[in-house]
Amino acid sequence: MSHSKLAGIFNKDEKKVDWHDKALWFVRHKRDLSVHQVKGWEELRNLGHGIKAHTLSHLDVYLEQFEANALKNGVQVHWAANGDEHNQIVHSILKADNAKKVVKSKSMLTEECHLNPFLEANDIEVIDTDLGERIVQLAKEKPSHIVLPAIHKNKLEVDELFQEHLGTEPCDGDPQYLTGEARKHLREKFIHADAAITGVNFAIAENGGFVVCTNEGNADMGAHLAPIHIACMGVEKIIPKQEHLGVFLRLLARSATGQPITTYSSHFRKPGKGVKMHIVIVDNGRSKQLSRPDFRASLHCIRCGACMNTCPIYRRSGGHSYDATIPGPIGSILSPGKDLTKYSTLPFASTLCGSCSDVCPVKIDIHTQLYKWRQIIGKETPQPFIKKKSMAAMGKIFSKPSLYGKVGAVARWALRTLPKSLINAWPNIWGKTRDLPVGPKKSFDQWYKERENNKKTDQK
Amino acid sequence: MDSRDTILKKLKANKPEFIALPKINPAVFDENIDKVKEFIRKTEVAGGKVFEVTDNKEVLSKTQEAFPETKVNFSNLDDSGFFNTIDSESFKNPHELNDLDVLVLESTLGVAENGAVWLTDNDIPVRVIPFITKHLVLVLPKENIVPYMHQAYSAINPMDLDYGIFISGPSKTADIEQSLVIGAQGAMSLTVFLK
Repeated sequence: MSHSKLAGIFNKDEKKVDWHDKALWFVRHKRDLSVHQVKGWEELRNLGHGIKAHTLSHLDVYLEQFEANALKNGVQVHWAANGDEHNQIVHSILKADNAKKVVKSKSMLTEECHLNPFLEANDIEVIDTDLGERIVQLAKEKPSHIVLPAIHKNKLEVDELFQEHLGTEPCDGDPQYLTGEARKHLREKFIHADAAITGVNFAIAENGGFVVCTNEGNADMGAHLAPIHIACMGVEKIIPKQEHLGVFLRLLARSATGQPITTYSSHFRKPGKGVKMHIVIVDNGRSKQLSRPDFRASLHCIRCGACMNTCPIYRRSGGHSYDATIPGPIGSILSPGKDLTKYSTLPFASTLCGSCSDVCPVKIDIHTQLYKWRQIIGKETPQPFIKKKSMAAMGKIFSKPSLYGKVGAVARWALRTLPKSLINAWPNIWGKTRDLPVGPKKSFDQWYKERENNKKTDQK
Repeated sequence: MDSRDTILKKLKANKPEFIALPKINPAVFDENIDKVKEFIRKTEVAGGKVFEVTDNKEVLSKTQEAFPETKVNFSNLDDSGFFNTIDSESFKNPHELNDLDVLVLESTLGVAENGAVWLTDNDIPVRVIPFITKHLVLVLPKENIVPYMHQAYSAINPMDLDYGIFISGPSKTADIEQSLVIGAQGAMSLTVFLK
């Protein structure tokens, strides 16, 4: 389904859309307050961009260095060309130790590879331990935001879900009570887990270590209690040196939620006592994206979600309208690289206002890339009949001033004279939720010329 | 060819021409902040409490004052015998630490700009313990507070680190309608004693 159709579904509940819009704008505002306190913020963004650009230009070398160091640290390293191979690797690790219960902290990569349904089909229980992810998991939905996975759900919906699945008392959506109950529920899962899966925020080539950031502490609760820790990462998560964490950890949380740093920034390097540690390095289309000069900078992304919070389209259409693991502006430049036809409407889900590029902590030119995808999509995928015809007609009208003048006069007359039912009739989708203004008698051109003439008359 | 070689070959073929690595100049970010003041401010913003003390003895007495009713306590400060209700035997099976009430640990590095306190395997008897405890108490010498993350990483040897963690404030979440709730999956409170 197209982005606009799915956005239409989200917009059926107007009150919810208003709340969603305001809640995310508030997060954007917190980001502003936070970054304005940092001296040299722009320099920090330049460094973030520069370090990532350098790393991509040397990616194979750094990955090999990372692998060699991780092996020295006693960590097993696996490589997966695509999502299927990733899932099979994870499954084989679990199977080897007969692990049946898995706790997982936030990892957009495992969402992208559809790991949960794969493991569940193989009789393995997977519990998402980030509260927001647990909520959407219980609702049998997908995260609608990469940092705030359950931002599309209100507290009463969470209340009902917990009553049904965790046996909680009705509480009118009291967040304190519900979080406390989730804590008890997840503690049980952590204590009895056979294996823990985490994502990776940054993997460090020089020492083979990796960093995971959470506010809840769920990644560490899982990874330290279970006898197996599997960390899954995309190839682009690598950074050359530990000192570069100084840049990225300063950028990440401030851009995401306005916090100066997440509560926990965990640096894993050697396995703990009695723990087997595995790292799965995944390509799944990233090497292809690297080959596209116009779009490779999308691989700089550190998954802060700032572009979503600021986007006027995302805030009003909801994350699920993108029908992709990574929604919002950054998702709209990543997804077409994976499947141009399926995601052909996403680059159009933007006003091209450029706010996403302004807040991006690693200075990805998101709105420019959205524009560039539109050029490609216009040529390579079939466009709707009406759009094609109207674009061709517009092209003719705009290229001939005399024709433009005539059409303008007719349009102004029509807007003054014709009934609303006719003006707003299909195929004018603009008229679906708004009225066009009453057509003025004069065109701007006529008005301007008359004004200039009057000025001259006045001067005489 | 296995996936490893295929991926590396593709990345090598598809990567752009070499781009130089920029140098980080920490002086650009320096605002000459009052490190102790800023550390206290940021820890409080993150939901933690900060007290200034003279020695470890005061840490333990103040901790007992703050948590008078707790049953299971552990501190790795010297002379904590009277405070501890469990010993290192308990760490053999970390799953049984689920009823730990108060944990006191000593850190050697803190960051002013975000109130983060650094702990490594050297500072913690077992990795899960700062997360599984109900209340976490950290002791940090004032002179070990650095202004920014850049200075913090200069103080950490990347080749001599098995596991390390920056902790800033107690565990928290805002996943239910963006309402901030302290105490998600990790510690429900954080107290830092500066000495």
